[in-house]
Amino acid sequence: MITIKSKKTKMGVLLFIVPALVIYLLFQIIPIIGSVYFSLVNWNGIAGSTPQFVGLQNYIAAFKSADFILALKNMASMVIISVLFHTPIALLMAVAINTKCKGYRLFKALFFVPTVFPLTAVGLMWYFIFMPTGSFNSLLEAVGLSSLVTPWLVEPSTAMNTIIFVNVWAGVGYYMVIILAGLTTIPDDVYEAAAIDGATPVKRFFHITIPMLKPILSMCILMDIIGSVKVFDLVFAMTGGGPNGLTNLPTTLMYNEAFKYNHYGVGSAIGIIIMLICIAGTLGSNFLTGRKKDV
Amino acid sequence: MKKKINGQKIIMYVLLILTASVFAAPMLFTLLSSIKNKVEIFADPFALPEIPQWGNYAEAWTNANMSHYFLNSVIQAGATVIVLAIVSSMAAYVLSRFQFKWSKGMLLFFMVGMMVPVHTVLVPVSYIIGALNLKNNVAALVMIYVAFNLPFSILVVTNFMKGVNKSLEEAALIDGASYFQIYRYVMLPMTVPALSTISIFNFLGAWNNILFPLLFINDKKLKPIALGLLNFNGERGSDYGPLMAAIVITVAVPLVIYLLFQEKVEGGLAAGAVKE
Repeated sequence: MITIKSKKTKMGVLLFIVPALVIYLLFQIIPIIGSVYFSLVNWNGIAGSTPQFVGLQNYIAAFKSADFILALKNMASMVIISVLFHTPIALLMAVAINTKCKGYRLFKALFFVPTVFPLTAVGLMWYFIFMPTGSFNSLLEAVGLSSLVTPWLVEPSTAMNTIIFVNVWAGVGYYMVIILAGLTTIPDDVYEAAAIDGATPVKRFFHITIPMLKPILSMCILMDIIGSVKVFDLVFAMTGGGPNGLTNLPTTLMYNEAFKYNHYGVGSAIGIIIMLICIAGTLGSNFLTGRKKDV
Repeated sequence: MKKKINGQKIIMYVLLILTASVFAAPMLFTLLSSIKNKVEIFADPFALPEIPQWGNYAEAWTNANMSHYFLNSVIQAGATVIVLAIVSSMAAYVLSRFQFKWSKGMLLFFMVGMMVPVHTVLVPVSYIIGALNLKNNVAALVMIYVAFNLPFSILVVTNFMKGVNKSLEEAALIDGASYFQIYRYVMLPMTVPALSTISIFNFLGAWNNILFPLLFINDKKLKPIALGLLNFNGERGSDYGPLMAAIVITVAVPLVIYLLFQEKVEGGLAAGAVKE
């Protein structure tokens, strides 16, 4: 560490942090405090009007609205299904690619590349595939499954699950790359020793790979929970929350409440609830993984 | 024994190829459809077009304004990258090299932003933008991108700078260099690997974002590409060929960046995740 001698240079050096601090305070810290304030007032967003303090009314209004409860249910499906598929599929992909089999680079690039695309483009891509006249339905007809043909994103019973599928598709490569980095830290001699002892590849997978990856796998699940709560672009691009608001998530509902209907108070309250859900998810999964360590 | 291993290998390949086709099919469909006419797109999703409709790209690029959106995104994402590289490396220099009263707390303070979902702060941010009359202001949009990518950038650059050997700096200090000169001529050149990592992520983040331009840019001439694509779909949703071409144009830049910097992208992701 450099020890700073004169007071003058010290102040000079500290100025280096000022630009970052100003931008960060203005667009991150002040808004965090501001969102708590806005969630406790009734305000229509018109510059002249004064916000009225309403206490927890906005939160109560949110929980009383059927739309918000539905959005929470959709969010729960999004989180649960994503967690059930993302990490296990990503783990299998990573293990397969880690064998350095022929063409593994191509497979890896193919699985990962959707994660660098804008989700709006990914959403639109799938939107055209799942259109009533789209290629998924024509594929079903071609293989003789025409009974399954349905307007995937319009039909209330399939719309949400279709979006969740696309979320799984678009995100799995991200977790694969993280798990792949974890796999390279497992020393080869552990596997070799197990192989000499006669452990089959399947046994090695369950008794070496999974236990040694446990911290990384639980971190993937945590990131997935938070990431799935925050999904917005996909819904916005694929259905815009429709049909009839059936595919809304808290994020899209928050956007509509605040910026379509000018209900800034309710919008902010939903924003705070989203944050609380993320914190609860973090604490919850830390608690679960922490407890497993003790056992 | 040998037969069994081969059997497993075959199963693995079959599964890999099946999964790969689920990933390749939608991308291939979009790419093929971008050079087909409307009838061909729906007739046989994976057939080649009789005559490649390159006109779809011309239509998307000029008439649907994708060229404007593309250029806007290059400017907005480019500016974000440059500002973030400067601002975060300056902050990281202080955080990694100097001890002052709150130096430890300061890094933690910068990390708070990583834990707050964007939607939580959307109303106050839009209030600030409105109050300062910064709607349709590209510089303000860039500052918002900077603010939201700042925590990750500072974390990565600070961690990297902490690992940089101090002997060169000490030599420069003895030679009478000022702290600014040390930052500019000693520290920055040595931090290039970390700066290039954050720049890739910051570029992709700005290129892919729709939420902020959705709220703060309604002037069509200033819209970035991801939002322009949605606009195009909203206005001419049945011009499938040109729309597919527009999707290809939108994803082409992230695709090229990934292919060029594959190791950096994957390494940065893994490093960022493992450190948390």
